[in-house]
Amino acid sequence: MSAMIPLDSLLREATAATYSDLVTRPTGAAVRDRVVGALRERPRTQALLDFSRIGLVDFSCADEVVAKLIRAVHDLPVSRVVLTGVREDHAEAIDHALARYGLVVLALEAGTGRPRLLGEVPVDWGAVFAHCVAAPGPHDADGVAAALAWPATRARQALEGLCTCRCLLAGPDATYDLGALA
Amino acid sequence: MRVITVPGHLDHRSVDQLAAQLGTWPPEERILVDAHAAEWASPSGFTALLTLAQAIAEAGGPAPRLTLPAADTVTSYWARTGFIAHADGLYELHGKVPRRRSDEASDLLLPVTPIREARDVHEVVRAVTEGATRILREELKLEATVVGGFGQSLSETCQNVVEHAGTGGWVAVHTYNYRRRLGRRVAVISVSDAGIGFRRSLEATQAKRYGDRWSDGMAIETALIHNISRFRDPGRGQGLAGTKRYLARWQGKIAIRSGTARVAIVPPWDDEPPMTEGLAWFPGAQVTVVIPGKEAPEG
Repeated sequence: MSAMIPLDSLLREATAATYSDLVTRPTGAAVRDRVVGALRERPRTQALLDFSRIGLVDFSCADEVVAKLIRAVHDLPVSRVVLTGVREDHAEAIDHALARYGLVVLALEAGTGRPRLLGEVPVDWGAVFAHCVAAPGPHDADGVAAALAWPATRARQALEGLCTCRCLLAGPDATYDLGALA
Repeated sequence: MRVITVPGHLDHRSVDQLAAQLGTWPPEERILVDAHAAEWASPSGFTALLTLAQAIAEAGGPAPRLTLPAADTVTSYWARTGFIAHADGLYELHGKVPRRRSDEASDLLLPVTPIREARDVHEVVRAVTEGATRILREELKLEATVVGGFGQSLSETCQNVVEHAGTGGWVAVHTYNYRRRLGRRVAVISVSDAGIGFRRSLEATQAKRYGDRWSDGMAIETALIHNISRFRDPGRGQGLAGTKRYLARWQGKIAIRSGTARVAIVPPWDDEPPMTEGLAWFPGAQVTVVIPGKEAPEG
């Protein structure tokens, strides 16, 4: 089950103004507080943070809204947080903010909905994730290892890493999947 | 009365010439800023002149006088940038004050605008993204991702005032032909404040690490090169770090002057020294960001 969190609405609430840009730390912190409040009301759901009606995202606000949220995501009752409606310029700011903490998050691109990873993505994780996006899952370590011509241990480590940051979901029989993203 | 002559071309480097004429601080005598021979000023020049008058006011000094440029075309431009309207509250103006024309020049991405709080940063970003995107894309031939990064850099440099200065500041964003150094049009963001400066902002957390070497230059370098902020939050320092990454990708330049030093990250097309120390003191901090357009100007 997914819950869409419209950041534009939370931004307007937080600033009591008609701004569409996620800029400045105070604004970012206020928006994050509202996001956390919304997530606490939706236990066990997959939260989709919707950037589609957001204009600019600056680096400081990306830190406050996304990086600090993802750092605390294990304390929240949601199954995972996915960013959606993310444009290239949003991605740039978010990527930069997450990399500072060594964090990775799953995002869906604006327009195409194509899944991508943002943040400090180890090379092996990137390769495995690209394989999982290109070929429908579920995937196991042996299948991924065969496809990438890797030892199974290497594939398993990357799959488990992606699962730890909730970019992939663990399934039965040691399988992994992107999960439903809508 | 101490007379400070404004250089014919006032930009982020020739602000040093203003500083060199200041004498003791706060000024012991009333100051006359003489711009009658000025021919041109960059956004850094406008914001620095406002910062000077603001700092004098905040130091309890009498309002300085400002002699406006003698050339009508120059004064008209200064009026169109919004400079004269703001200067009118800080300086005692002398000379012919032109009526501000309603047709804003297309080289003004953002007229001179005060920055005091986070809400001002929102307004600045909104104004630039709504009004300047066409200019950045069509005149400077910048791609959408470059334009987005421009807004991010603008936001972050303005936030430095709100977060660190301890007082208000000024921002202006213009485009102009940078023929001599680059042979292209550039977009220039200038932010200047009359606040505590980088050295005092970072002193409590960083000075001990540097001992006797602690200086204005070290303070700027700590923030700009090492991405260190006075806040202990590990997410802090992202603004300048992200701005640097953006500028590195698009061969942009950033120069920060504070107190008696200026530190710059210099792209291959420019020859400014990475660090200049021993400058004459100037109040607050001045940040200049230059983004080159993609193509040479026509003609």
